[in-house]
Amino acid sequence: MGKRVLLADDDQLLASLLNFRLRKGGYEVHHSSNGKEVKEFLKSNMPDIIVSDIMMPYFSGIELIDYVRNVLKSSTPIIIISSAGNEQNVLSAFELGANDFITKPVSPTELLVRVAREIK
Amino acid sequence: MSSSPRISNISLITAPELNIDFLWELSFAFLALAALYFISIFLIRNKIDGNSIQSKQKKIELSPILSEFLFYEDTCSKEEKQNYLNLKIQIRELIKDDFDRKVLTEILLDLRKDLSGQSQQVLMNLYKDLGIHNDAFEKLTSRRWQIISKGILELTAMEVMEAYMLIVKFINHKQSTIRKQAEIAVVTLKEEGISYFLDNTKYKISEWQQLKLLDVLRHKPNFKPPHFSLWLTSNNTHVVLFALRLIKYYRQSNAEQSIITLLKHKKKDIQCEAIDCIKEFYFVNALPTLKLVYPKAPLQVKISILDAIGEIGSQLDIEFLEAVRKKEKSFIIKSKVLGTLNKISPESILPFKNIDTHEYFMETDNIEDHSEKQSNAFVAAINEKQSATEFNADLENLEKETSKTHILKETIDESPCEDHLIDTMLEVSEAEDISSQSELQKIDVVDPLEISTRVPVEGESAETVVEKEKASGLITAKQPGAVEEEPINLSQQNDLEYIRELKVDFLPLVVAEAIKIIPEAEESSIEVNPLFDLDDSHPEESSIEIESEPLKELNEIDISSFPFEEELEIDSDLIGIKSNTSVSFENNTISFSPNFLEEDELEKMVLLEQISDMGDHRELPFLRDLIKESTSGLLMERTKELIDKFSANQISFSLEKNAHSNLNISVFSEIFKLSDTETQLLLLEEINVIGDEKEIPLLKSLVADQNKQIALKAKQVLEHLEYNLNEKKTKVLLEASVDSLFKVDFELDIECKANGKIHDDGATLFDQLCYKSNSLYNKLNGK
Repeated sequence: MGKRVLLADDDQLLASLLNFRLRKGGYEVHHSSNGKEVKEFLKSNMPDIIVSDIMMPYFSGIELIDYVRNVLKSSTPIIIISSAGNEQNVLSAFELGANDFITKPVSPTELLVRVAREIK
Repeated sequence: MSSSPRISNISLITAPELNIDFLWELSFAFLALAALYFISIFLIRNKIDGNSIQSKQKKIELSPILSEFLFYEDTCSKEEKQNYLNLKIQIRELIKDDFDRKVLTEILLDLRKDLSGQSQQVLMNLYKDLGIHNDAFEKLTSRRWQIISKGILELTAMEVMEAYMLIVKFINHKQSTIRKQAEIAVVTLKEEGISYFLDNTKYKISEWQQLKLLDVLRHKPNFKPPHFSLWLTSNNTHVVLFALRLIKYYRQSNAEQSIITLLKHKKKDIQCEAIDCIKEFYFVNALPTLKLVYPKAPLQVKISILDAIGEIGSQLDIEFLEAVRKKEKSFIIKSKVLGTLNKISPESILPFKNIDTHEYFMETDNIEDHSEKQSNAFVAAINEKQSATEFNADLENLEKETSKTHILKETIDESPCEDHLIDTMLEVSEAEDISSQSELQKIDVVDPLEISTRVPVEGESAETVVEKEKASGLITAKQPGAVEEEPINLSQQNDLEYIRELKVDFLPLVVAEAIKIIPEAEESSIEVNPLFDLDDSHPEESSIEIESEPLKELNEIDISSFPFEEELEIDSDLIGIKSNTSVSFENNTISFSPNFLEEDELEKMVLLEQISDMGDHRELPFLRDLIKESTSGLLMERTKELIDKFSANQISFSLEKNAHSNLNISVFSEIFKLSDTETQLLLLEEINVIGDEKEIPLLKSLVADQNKQIALKAKQVLEHLEYNLNEKKTKVLLEASVDSLFKVDFELDIECKANGKIHDDGATLFDQLCYKSNSLYNKLNGK
């Protein structure tokens, strides 16, 4: 049984691709396409790592970090993916407790390496 | 009542009959059209939505297949390979359908934006492998500009190199969207694309487009930029401008002359860009052209030019800038010029706006006024003393001083007040720096203001002035107390005041430059004494010697009013002025007798000053000889001072020397000098622990220290150290003796035998061994 990864991204295509790559890398991936789903999932399951897009319907990636760190009080590693790699986003993410930040375009192989590193 | 019959006579206009049926028909027609419109919209929207859903579903359906393709590795298992081949066949079947192909193209283009690295490369290869780029080529032949634009965009995104030749022709397309898309495509697809584009483009290149093109170039891997100076001669001014920007960005400084020439371009944008390049590459040769272009340049260019001059200019350009500063009326340019001047020569222009000059320069006027008052008061005082018949040498001095004051006044009148005042202050301060502290205390440098405040105004008695000044605190503590303490009568006191106040010791410093202004026609020769003459203890040597005709005003003075000789002699004694000092009254006129130092004396004085600056205790014999030979009081005094100074130095030097020679320098001595008591005590503690014989002289010197604490501690440490050293010595001797038991030098033995001391002494074996060890120790120590 591989490590569980929660992939939260509303972009179906990219999510599908990343999902495929992570599965191929030996991880068990759960994909959620919006914030609500993510929240619901997290109530009952806590993955080994969360890979989340910063822009999602209902619940942004930043809110997700806050929820995981302050509500669920979990130290699960969180990797944020964003197309807008502006300083404010990056700082907010790290201030709230994100472990890593990746700017689009994403290299799936690179993501795999980062996930592996964070899980370790 | 009268109007009603008239109305009845007018026939009413009858309304035309409306064809109600036609209206109904028209309404139905419009309703039908509206319904048709809404239905069509509904249908179209439904179709779009349907397509969108279908497309979305297709995308979801295709994405795993694409993922398989993208992450396929040759090293995977046979099953995976089989699966990969099946998918390839499946996808080839799929793209036969237009909709599916369209969806696949969309997917690939979307993923192209989101993926990077190897996955991106695989994606682009897949695009070409599946032959989707052929659709894009077809788009290029479309009549609709948006289709063409889309085709170019697609081919550019997927980096289809084959499309380069097809896209190039759109560079000068009349439709700006196609043109811009083509420009980016050409630059993206091939390295030489930028050259082709700059060579061929005829249209304007917008600022935004320039940025986009630059961004493309920046992100091109291994891009070798061509020499953009080649396009500085382009007929398209936009190309020239873009080339200048590229030159600046890629730092191509090989087009100096072309860039300098572009300073004369008609377009200010190009001029500004050329100036920016000149600044960037520090083209100093452009300075003359910059100055040449400046007068006719527009405001923006002028500012750029000034900025460039500030950056690359030198002191030589200050003249030009000053000229611009005078000529220019524009506030912005004036400010810029000031900034530039300060950039070239920092702080050459000081803040001047809202700086209150009045407050600080009024004093010059005061000096002038007071100088005038001083002379007037002096004349008035002389008039009061007309009864005097004879005048002594002291009065000559008085005359001399008065003359000095007049010269000072004239100089102040002739010269710009502010500058002179500043110069005066500077010179006085320099003199203060040069003189030693002790000398300074003696020197009574009379402040110009001080002079003025002490002189009574015409019609006002000196006594009143003195009292007033005392009340206002203007009489300074510098005045010799003896004068004030002596019970002298008022008239004497007044004269004394004048003599004292007119003893303008600072004059040689202050007036030096101003005196030069006095015309030769006046046949005045003024010599300025060296700085060391300013010593107040030698007032006769500190005076200026002036050979001049008696001043007209003084000639007119009735000198009979001056005090008697005896009185003045007493006065001069009181203030320490010798009888041979400067002012003398002869034949009812005040004449000035020169009071120069002898040439020989002067030379010696200069020598003494040099010795004072550079000499040390080694000069003492010479100084002692000099004091024996010397007859001048001033020389003797100065020599004595130097002897005292160097003698004091000699003591410390000899102490140091002793320390150096005897101790090979104690590391503590230097630190000790610089330390406070607490630290010194700590150092003594340290010496107690780690000190050796080097520290003994230091400790001995400290035993006699004024600080009892230090002296006591030093004594304790010294005792302890001496005890330790003795212990050590004994130990060494013992060790040496033990060693010698095992290292008996045969030769020594022979030597000892030869000396016959052993037998002579009749000593025991132990004594002999001791003797041997001693001799060995002595030998080792070179004794």
